[in-house]
Amino acid sequence: MPRPPSPSIPEKEFLFNSLKESLRLDGRQSLEMRDPVFTFGPDLGWVECALGKTRVLAQLDGKMVKPTPERPLEGIITINSEISPMASSDYEPGRPSDEEVTMTRMLDKVLRRSDAIDKESLCILAGQRVWHLRLTIHCLADAGNLLDCACLAGIVAFRHYRRPEVEVVGEEVIIHHPSERAPVPLSMHHTPFCFTFAYFPDPNTPPILDPSHLEQRLSAGLISIALNAQKELCVIQKAGGVPLSQEQVLGAIDIAVGKAVELDRIVTQRLEEDWKGRKVEIR
Amino acid sequence: MSETFILPGESVPAQHVNLKLGPGLLQYATVDQESRVASTKAGELHHSANNSRWWIEGNSKRYIPAPQESVVGVVTARSGEGWRVDIGSAHPAYLDGLAFEGATKRNKPNLKVGSLLYARVSLAHKDMEPELECFDAQTHKAEGFGELKGGFLVRCSLKMCRLLLSPNHFLLPLLGSRFTLEVATGLNGRVWVTAKEAKHVIAVARCIEAVDPDGGGMDESGVKQFLGTLDR
Amino acid sequence: MSSRVEILNDGGYRSDGRRQYELRDITIDLSPRGTADGSAMITHGLTEVMVDVFGPREAKLRGQTLHDRALLTVEVGIVPFSTGERRKRNRGDKRILELAATIKQTFEPIVQTNLYPRSEISIFVSVLQQDGGLLPASINATTLALLTAGIPMTDYVTAITCGVHSTAPLLDLTTLEENDLPHLTVASLPRTFKVTLVAMETRLHVERVSECMKIAGEAGKVLHQEMKRAVEARTKRLVQAMDMAPRIGGVGGGVDRDVDMDEDNQT
Repeated sequence: MPRPPSPSIPEKEFLFNSLKESLRLDGRQSLEMRDPVFTFGPDLGWVECALGKTRVLAQLDGKMVKPTPERPLEGIITINSEISPMASSDYEPGRPSDEEVTMTRMLDKVLRRSDAIDKESLCILAGQRVWHLRLTIHCLADAGNLLDCACLAGIVAFRHYRRPEVEVVGEEVIIHHPSERAPVPLSMHHTPFCFTFAYFPDPNTPPILDPSHLEQRLSAGLISIALNAQKELCVIQKAGGVPLSQEQVLGAIDIAVGKAVELDRIVTQRLEEDWKGRKVEIR
Repeated sequence: MSETFILPGESVPAQHVNLKLGPGLLQYATVDQESRVASTKAGELHHSANNSRWWIEGNSKRYIPAPQESVVGVVTARSGEGWRVDIGSAHPAYLDGLAFEGATKRNKPNLKVGSLLYARVSLAHKDMEPELECFDAQTHKAEGFGELKGGFLVRCSLKMCRLLLSPNHFLLPLLGSRFTLEVATGLNGRVWVTAKEAKHVIAVARCIEAVDPDGGGMDESGVKQFLGTLDR
Repeated sequence: MSSRVEILNDGGYRSDGRRQYELRDITIDLSPRGTADGSAMITHGLTEVMVDVFGPREAKLRGQTLHDRALLTVEVGIVPFSTGERRKRNRGDKRILELAATIKQTFEPIVQTNLYPRSEISIFVSVLQQDGGLLPASINATTLALLTAGIPMTDYVTAITCGVHSTAPLLDLTTLEENDLPHLTVASLPRTFKVTLVAMETRLHVERVSECMKIAGEAGKVLHQEMKRAVEARTKRLVQAMDMAPRIGGVGGGVDRDVDMDEDNQT
């Protein structure tokens, strides 16, 4: 199966030259993100996130299980993500590609290992019953920067999800249907966001935030930074690519700090709007 | 000219002594050796004034090569005496090293992998690889075909590139009135654009994307307004 | 951080008796093994990694060849007895795949792959023991193995982990420390002092990062000296062996015997 051809020489030259003048093909500034568009589904924890034409669907559901013997007081979170050729013809079915490995690991680090969700709050009855949250990431279309989009969709799904209220009477667990008692949001420590910067071979070209597909293909290195609005870094991932000076890395982190605050505001606002619209039907 | 919307599998009342079928139509014989025509894709059914030519106009993204169509392709590899060119079809097309104006065995153009080409499909058969040529087969003159240097490649839907080729469409004249530009439109959904300044090329690319019926579907006044926001 | 073991005591010593910025013992063994074109074994304290490099050679999978540069492939194997709890990781494990992908991406811009179009350079990383700093040890060993294979690179790549205990940065963490501290892996190029890899996976405040990176950069320079010394010693012996070769009668024999002495010369 032949791989899709790499971008042609004129495309490459044009992109490099216009980036040198800080012009991007979609008219953005070099450090401007595409505005995220969230579509919330009928169920809680069903979020479609779109950055331009990149689209990712995140779906979160919870069920009760017996906890693992090693951690009887903690809930379980599993993340399923797979990049199928549906997202872009760059991906092949079967063996996981480098991109897929990076994305799976990054999602794991950003959403699970950064302690964004208070796992202990997912415990219902110690050693007996805990919540098992299962997040499924479906990559619908890749038009560049799939990673940030997937992380964003995932974290928003966690924020959007509400689990049914449960009550423990002795050894018995009573689950209240959402129509009886309002479901409760997950208890979260913080909300990490991921930002990817692309660097180019020419040292005079400024780095760009949120690369498009072509920009990503032609970039000489990516750095992904995940952090929350409280200025706490969760993940930095720069594997290979052009070597950067320490100042460049720190500069990128500084920019990400500002963007995280901005994005946090947007996400919170959108979630509030959605929740207001929902209250009517739940009663 | 009448326009009717048609779905795949419908029968088409195309009857003519000198019948010519365009894309999306299939001729078949019934059991009693009667010739019928059926549609194979969805779209608008068109026919010429004298009912001899019939075709379906729809929109799609995947290009199916047809002879004599101009396409923009990317060289993906050298292969024997010629090159393998990606034209967005299911199979890579083959471009012979001698299919250029003035090319001889000794003197062939030097195309690198990744070069862009404007070429014409010379052979398109469902069981064979498509073949390209970069000259007019009768006159052996380049006629504008050949390597495209500089500029930028814009990808759009197949309907959009047909619209761009139509002399009645507003977009290219409108853009041309604002600044000088050079465009090579391939029927395979690829448009090569060059202009003096990078921002002009970007403007063209964004306009094509905005007007594309597959995406924004912006109309003329919309584009004028849009160009205003692009500030030039 | 709620740890049972004291990470850094009041006297400024760590759990294994090191100071804050003290690195663990490093031993480098560059003797050839088997049919590999280049190989290196490095230990950082108890972490031990062996790397074999083959190539440039014809690609095993012809479909993957790149027309303008060499293809780098990295395979990582972690032996089941390398950790305290014996556990077999299969090759499809995402963590192993990530490690391999990270090594590959780190070396792609450093190795001058454009000199060998349509060929393949394969790197096999075997982790024999792990006690923290797996990624940096693998990267350092890969640098050395590529060097011994004679593959042109633009620079050394030296990697180190740096953790933060409340506000005090610590270098070269052990597993014990890695489990408890937020830490950062930095791979730097000693010549330009630029970083090619930064990886961090635990929460850390933005302000701590710059300090960590600076210290990790300094540590990279120290590592570079150490690695350079090992490579130079090996080259010197090789040159001596080549001078001697005509008298001994066979180049191969001369080289083999000489490099066997590696350990003795170094310690």
